[in-house]
Amino acid sequence: MAKTESVTGALPARGWLPPLDGGTALMTLLIGFMGFYVLYPLVLIIINSFNTATIAEPPVYGLAAWREAFSEPGIWRSLWNSVKIGIVLQVVALPMGIFISWLLARTNILFGNALEFGFWISFFLPGLATTFGWMLLLDPSTGLINSWLRDLPFLSGLNFDIYSFAGIIWVHLVSNGISTKVMLLTPAFRRMDASMEEASRMSGANALTTLVRITAPAMTPVIVVVFLLSVIRIFSSFEVELLLGVPWSFYVYSTKIVDLARQEPPLVNQAAALGSVILVFLAAFIPLQRRLITRRQFTTVTGQFKPKIIDLGVWRYPATAFVALVIFILDVVPLLSVLGGSFMTRFGFFNLPKTWTLEYWTTSLSDPRILQALQNTLIVAVSAGVVGALAFSLIGYVLVRTKLPGRSVLDSICWLPSAIPGVLSGLGLLWMFLGTPMFRPFYGTIVLLVIAQVLGGVTLATQILKANFVQLGKELEEASRMSGAGFWRTYLRVVFPLMSQTMVLVGVIKFMFAAQHNSAIILLATSETRTLSLLALDQVAAGYREVASITIILITLLTLGIAVIARSFGLKVGIRAE
Amino acid sequence: MGFLRIENLYKTFDRVVAVDRINLEIAEGEFFTLLGSSGCGKTTTLRMIGGLEKPDGGAIYLGDRCLVSQERRIYIKPEKRDMGMVFQSYALWPHMTVFENVSYPLKLRGTSRSETRAKVAEVLNLVGLAGLEDRPAPALSGGQQQRVALARALVFSPKVLLLDEPLSNLDAQLREEMRRELKALQQRVNVTVIFVTHDQIEALSLSDRIAIMKFGVLEQVGTPEEVYYRPATPFVRDFLGKTFLLPGKVSALSEQFVHVEVPGVAAAPLVLDRRNVASSANGFPAVGQGVMVAIRPEQVSLSAERLEGQANRVEAVLQSVQFLGDRYEYTVTLGDETRVIGSPEARQLKQGGKVFLDLKPESISIWPREG
Repeated sequence: MAKTESVTGALPARGWLPPLDGGTALMTLLIGFMGFYVLYPLVLIIINSFNTATIAEPPVYGLAAWREAFSEPGIWRSLWNSVKIGIVLQVVALPMGIFISWLLARTNILFGNALEFGFWISFFLPGLATTFGWMLLLDPSTGLINSWLRDLPFLSGLNFDIYSFAGIIWVHLVSNGISTKVMLLTPAFRRMDASMEEASRMSGANALTTLVRITAPAMTPVIVVVFLLSVIRIFSSFEVELLLGVPWSFYVYSTKIVDLARQEPPLVNQAAALGSVILVFLAAFIPLQRRLITRRQFTTVTGQFKPKIIDLGVWRYPATAFVALVIFILDVVPLLSVLGGSFMTRFGFFNLPKTWTLEYWTTSLSDPRILQALQNTLIVAVSAGVVGALAFSLIGYVLVRTKLPGRSVLDSICWLPSAIPGVLSGLGLLWMFLGTPMFRPFYGTIVLLVIAQVLGGVTLATQILKANFVQLGKELEEASRMSGAGFWRTYLRVVFPLMSQTMVLVGVIKFMFAAQHNSAIILLATSETRTLSLLALDQVAAGYREVASITIILITLLTLGIAVIARSFGLKVGIRAE
Repeated sequence: MGFLRIENLYKTFDRVVAVDRINLEIAEGEFFTLLGSSGCGKTTTLRMIGGLEKPDGGAIYLGDRCLVSQERRIYIKPEKRDMGMVFQSYALWPHMTVFENVSYPLKLRGTSRSETRAKVAEVLNLVGLAGLEDRPAPALSGGQQQRVALARALVFSPKVLLLDEPLSNLDAQLREEMRRELKALQQRVNVTVIFVTHDQIEALSLSDRIAIMKFGVLEQVGTPEEVYYRPATPFVRDFLGKTFLLPGKVSALSEQFVHVEVPGVAAAPLVLDRRNVASSANGFPAVGQGVMVAIRPEQVSLSAERLEGQANRVEAVLQSVQFLGDRYEYTVTLGDETRVIGSPEARQLKQGGKVFLDLKPESISIWPREG
């Protein structure tokens, strides 16, 4: 009976288009621009891996860079290190994330909303703040926790060294590893139709069997999406490894590329060769990721009932305490530690005659380098936010609402940046601006940083916008079209105002992204154009811990502050199960 | 003694009483319906029977077994109650095929593989889905999903089958078809069914007995004919069908009949069966007492002329006639009330003119004046 295929399906589907030629022109323009923006730098990386001359010199083609790069064992080791970190991290973080999301969304845990907010804070807490906060606590010689341990009987032999593989994993877990998963999974768990679990109970399964056999498998699509989003970021991870790995010569993929490109003389061609390896890997992986994400769509959402929650019985209190402890470790510990670092004469030394001081704050806030960096950060982040929201809303709209040919190409291009490690797009842009005479005047200006950071969140931004366009009933636009408005007028007068809230959200996300992340701009910035995050990295590397604390607090205030303001205006981030 | 007994069942949500101390006895093999508008507590009652909701008071027994008792601190979890349930949203597990969905309860009971296969095939055959075992659940149409949900609830031969508005998500035609199938199926497998619905037609056509609920209280329990023809309360009367409601006065009483004058509508007093007196009030009716006369419009036949000597004949105004293909609908005003009367016959009647309605004695009931 399902064989009755509709005959009308054979007719060419004609949806909303501007007059055909206009639509094609728009699509050509979008694909051309995004293609150039996203793909061209990557193409340059591959081309220049076969180039033996440095940037800005006439190219000499040869295999020397590849040969040299891969005869050095350090390159292979750095790739393996990235994979190792990724695997260990996911093995720990994913089950934890699923378990905590389930507790928050499906059980009668106490203070569920407040606890969820705690993970939200952790998500927007800059990675630098978490990393540095824990560095202050777990430095093998000066770390506060380690010095406490030394004073304890029996435990004096215990010493946690954050400059280790375990330390890197730990910081990843507490910075974004767990909170990302909880943030993304909790809303999905909450939207699941509770009667699916009830049907399992009625069939004879207990609560635990139901979680294992029904709830978790029914959530597989969302869990797979979250997992893939994490896996593909394996090679993007940068700041944590830079701060915690490089001091003991432990390199991962991204830090190795920066190391090669920054050597004197710079080994940019070897960096390009290393970059190309990952591009090949991604070329295979991205289509797979996209297919898995868009393939089976479970409609786990019915929205008919308020979800019934599971009674944990006596386990309610231990479960609440457990999640509260996780949040304490994720949010409170690093923040207190960084704050302490900025107000203490010497961090961790409580017995000094003058324990607390405002000196670092007064000198920092009049330091022209910090003020310059603050200004740079604001320019880059605000531009990234505004440009991102405006440009990507048009792309999202065209992808969802029109039937223009070439949409799948455009969509693919927009998926790409999520997988490209920031260091690689930075390297590509570096080549583009130094190697193309027309663009060369821009090199060394802040425009480069804006360009790099706008690119950073393309995928997330277009996905959020697309999801919202899908959700927004088509009838509202159709009514506008029936009233006589054309494509552009409908877009500007109906779609744009209706989407304004989502666009503010996208802008906020891009702002925070640009203010926090360094990997895309580290190769592009100069001492005049560096942002607060880059300044903080330099300060930490130089050992100015107290001043670095202050810079990091400023970044935290900028990003977390914006996030909290945005949230109070009702903006929420999340991915949809569908 | 009832197979399923409910004693003083009580449940509140945030201090709002959802189910207010109801008592019910349901016989084995009975098709029992809880009927009421949304928020009347019918679904809550069903969920308490299934164990998905804990009552705040009272007890439920299945045979000799106490399922839940607030007093005795007994609560049997839903998975231990051996009841099948079909949810309004069907609640099919999207990550499983039809076979996996239906065999799940058997797997949990440790049924052998060959027996599982046989039982699933049998129950799928029963619901008319034989051969669809390997389809993924989300790939089915609404009607098919519903059948799978039914098969899953029946496959382990539960003692009781709970149905929570299972037909409400289907379109009208499919709903009618499923209604017939559901009844046939219940008669074949002879399972005790508790059915929750807000649709009076579903309730009347499917049930052995119906309980009508309002604000957590049982208004009336009885066979479809009982609740329809002899509603115990005005709520039941108005919920189950349209009525003309006219003021009248009792003029005479005999052992079997009541005579009621309805001025301005009937020339002679109407005669009705004494069983059709709502039994709610004591000493009712008495001669000379003012009453409300309720007339079911579908029990009426129309004619153009006044025939003398015919009992229970009232005068009305025909507002309009509509042809619906298989029948005609006559919109008629009687007293102050306008209702639609359906009839398969075409009549040469003038719109806006007088018509006469012949009433059967059992279609008239009288009620105490309200207010």
